[in-house]
Amino acid sequence: MIGALIIVFREMMEAGLIVGILMAATQAVAGSRVWILGGVVAGLLGSAIVAIFTGFIASAFEGSGEELFNAAILATAVLMLMWHSLWMIRNGRSLAANLKEAGKEVATGKKTFWALAVIVGTAVMREGSEVVLFLYGIAINNGATNSGLLLGGILGLVAGGLVSALTYQGMLKIPMRHFFSVTNALITLLAAGMAAQSVSYLEKAGVLTLFSDTIWNSSAILSEKSILGIFLHTLLGYVDQPSLMQLIVYLAVIAVVYGSGRLLSQPRPQIAKQV
Amino acid sequence: MSLRISLISLAFVALVTPALAEDVPTFDLSLDGTKFTPPDLHVPANKAFIIKFKNNNPGVAELEAKDVGIEKKAAGKSEVTVRVKAAPAGSYLFVDEFQEDVAKGQIVVE
Repeated sequence: MIGALIIVFREMMEAGLIVGILMAATQAVAGSRVWILGGVVAGLLGSAIVAIFTGFIASAFEGSGEELFNAAILATAVLMLMWHSLWMIRNGRSLAANLKEAGKEVATGKKTFWALAVIVGTAVMREGSEVVLFLYGIAINNGATNSGLLLGGILGLVAGGLVSALTYQGMLKIPMRHFFSVTNALITLLAAGMAAQSVSYLEKAGVLTLFSDTIWNSSAILSEKSILGIFLHTLLGYVDQPSLMQLIVYLAVIAVVYGSGRLLSQPRPQIAKQV
Repeated sequence: MSLRISLISLAFVALVTPALAEDVPTFDLSLDGTKFTPPDLHVPANKAFIIKFKNNNPGVAELEAKDVGIEKKAAGKSEVTVRVKAAPAGSYLFVDEFQEDVAKGQIVVE
């Protein structure tokens, strides 16, 4: 039971962190909750669908379908995160500074709501489908139904939800004047980490071969599969054996978000003064 | 804004160069129950290689070798292509993650 709990928890931790961060980052944006919750529900449904079609996905593209599928899903989430991040740079400061004004801004913010749902939905779908496959795999390989494993799996899911709640609570403790910059930095790093992971999948599919040599191996010091490793992998994009291309894309995403963020906030000097 | 997004997506697509038809050594590996065949996979050092992994079990398997970055699912009764990066000489443990205590083998890089 403990084994199943740990495996399921390991998968759900990543999704839990992402949901927690986005909920905290958009807590001042009225209506964002509904979309995030919708994303979670859609993601859970998607998990089951992806799990059912695993055989089809895995055998597609000469046996590299899983990698290409994951790369596309991650790339979509990255674009949504970048878009959301830029929108928050434009509007987030005024949301935080003046909640009355927020009501007015939300009308324009609705456009990014579905981006939120997509980000959350893809995260839950990727991790959730692993859980479904794992539990199904145990059931079918061991034959008999094992209620202990199922219980462990359910407890693992609950623990993943707990990570969301703790992340959310923890983020709300950040002082208001730093809140915007911290959440935006976190979302930028989330996007950069996912982009690097997407690159890794393209390399594994054999589609991307440029600069694919491993530039360091820190798996002996901190494995990406350990609980701390997963935590840092999700939050900062930590990879224990990255390729040069992964590093380039990681830094490029940060540069693009940071650079366009500066461009976007320039024509609004009155906002810059409030910070 | 949408221009920026399309530029980003374009950059993304540009990075994805088409696969080259390279000559990569390929090895077969199969899983029956908890037994991997062959249990020791001998591959050349410092050279990328491919494993054709055949899962003969009815359920999903996930071939995992953390030290060489393999993490690959195979549906029940199916074969998948696993691309592995060049690794220095040594032996690296691999498992079926869904039954990692009992289904093990090793890649011997030499």
